[in-house]
Amino acid sequence: MEDDLEKMTEIIRDLFDEYAGPVTCALSAGDVEQWDSLANVQLVVLMEQSFGIRFSTNEVGEFKTLGELLDIVKAKRAAQ
Amino acid sequence: MIPSGFPYLEKLIGRQLAAFPGHRSFLEKRFSPAGRVDFTFDEEIAEKVIQIAGKNLDRICEDYRRLSGIVLDEELHFRRTGRYRLSTFAQADEQVYSNADLMSCYMNGLLASQLWWSNHTEVLQFFRDDFIGHNPNGFSHLEIGPGHGLFLYFAAASPRCKTVEAWDISDASLEHTRQALAAMHLGRDVSLKKVNVFDAPREQFTSIAFSEVLEHLENPRDALRILRGLLAEGGRIFLNAPVNSPAPDHLYLFETPEHLLDMIVDAGFAVESSRLAPCTGATLKRARKLKLTISVAAIARKG
Repeated sequence: MEDDLEKMTEIIRDLFDEYAGPVTCALSAGDVEQWDSLANVQLVVLMEQSFGIRFSTNEVGEFKTLGELLDIVKAKRAAQ
Repeated sequence: MIPSGFPYLEKLIGRQLAAFPGHRSFLEKRFSPAGRVDFTFDEEIAEKVIQIAGKNLDRICEDYRRLSGIVLDEELHFRRTGRYRLSTFAQADEQVYSNADLMSCYMNGLLASQLWWSNHTEVLQFFRDDFIGHNPNGFSHLEIGPGHGLFLYFAAASPRCKTVEAWDISDASLEHTRQALAAMHLGRDVSLKKVNVFDAPREQFTSIAFSEVLEHLENPRDALRILRGLLAEGGRIFLNAPVNSPAPDHLYLFETPEHLLDMIVDAGFAVESSRLAPCTGATLKRARKLKLTISVAAIARKG
């Protein structure tokens, strides 16, 4: 999980270059001004590329926090 | 979200949020850049949108919500593949243009987007102020693909505009434009004709608008060549197309602003001025880096 959060931190810093706050499992769209619905799509596709998984269309809009997103990653890995 | 004194904008934002509460943060970002107090042009567009919508304002707002979902699906495909979903006109005709319900939603949603998507509003203002505003007295104007009618309205409303004409390949689209112009109380005749630009008559105009059409074509170079022939010597043309902008019927992917601007020059035009308008909330630098949508508008003459 720590490695995953490190990867996520890189993605978040790259995608949301105006956000300088902490990247934790509790981070949500409400904490980051640049995180809108389009950025959400970009985020999950960058995660797909980084983690080698594929989100369903429903999953793209379902999560509320980074932690929930990483839980989906974990579940997909376990199922592989 | 906005200061008082802009009643049309306030009304439209309220109705949009009633139909699409989840869009609040987006609209706050759209209308709350630090220190911004002048919403005069936005107010003018809000008034026009409300006039065009008439009794269907809630429908327009609902269709914008639907369109936003459709665009997100296209965005997901684009981000995964680096390409637009469709590549031929036949595909677009089968999946989009022949679907009356989808087309109605699309047209309505695009009307609202003229105000909600800052790149659309910025290009519209560039058109009115820098293109129409600098056309000489007695200009003859042609718009191809007039759609929601806002660009055509600004051209026809200019007291320096002598004649104004618009072409489209669809009777339904022309009727849509005719109704929009009437709703905006234009008060002058506009010739709306069913013409395919690829079978264009041998006429010339001193002012041509071709906005958000190039990306719908398989080969925009062919259209630019024809447009050059339609433009009278000394005339001016307004060209506008988005880069990295996935949508249900977008076929040709412009990957950078320069991709489009170079194509315009290669087609024999000299660019007089241009405007790069990044999508809502993004700087141009960030839009370039992340390959976000940038509206690219150019005012050109024959080179």
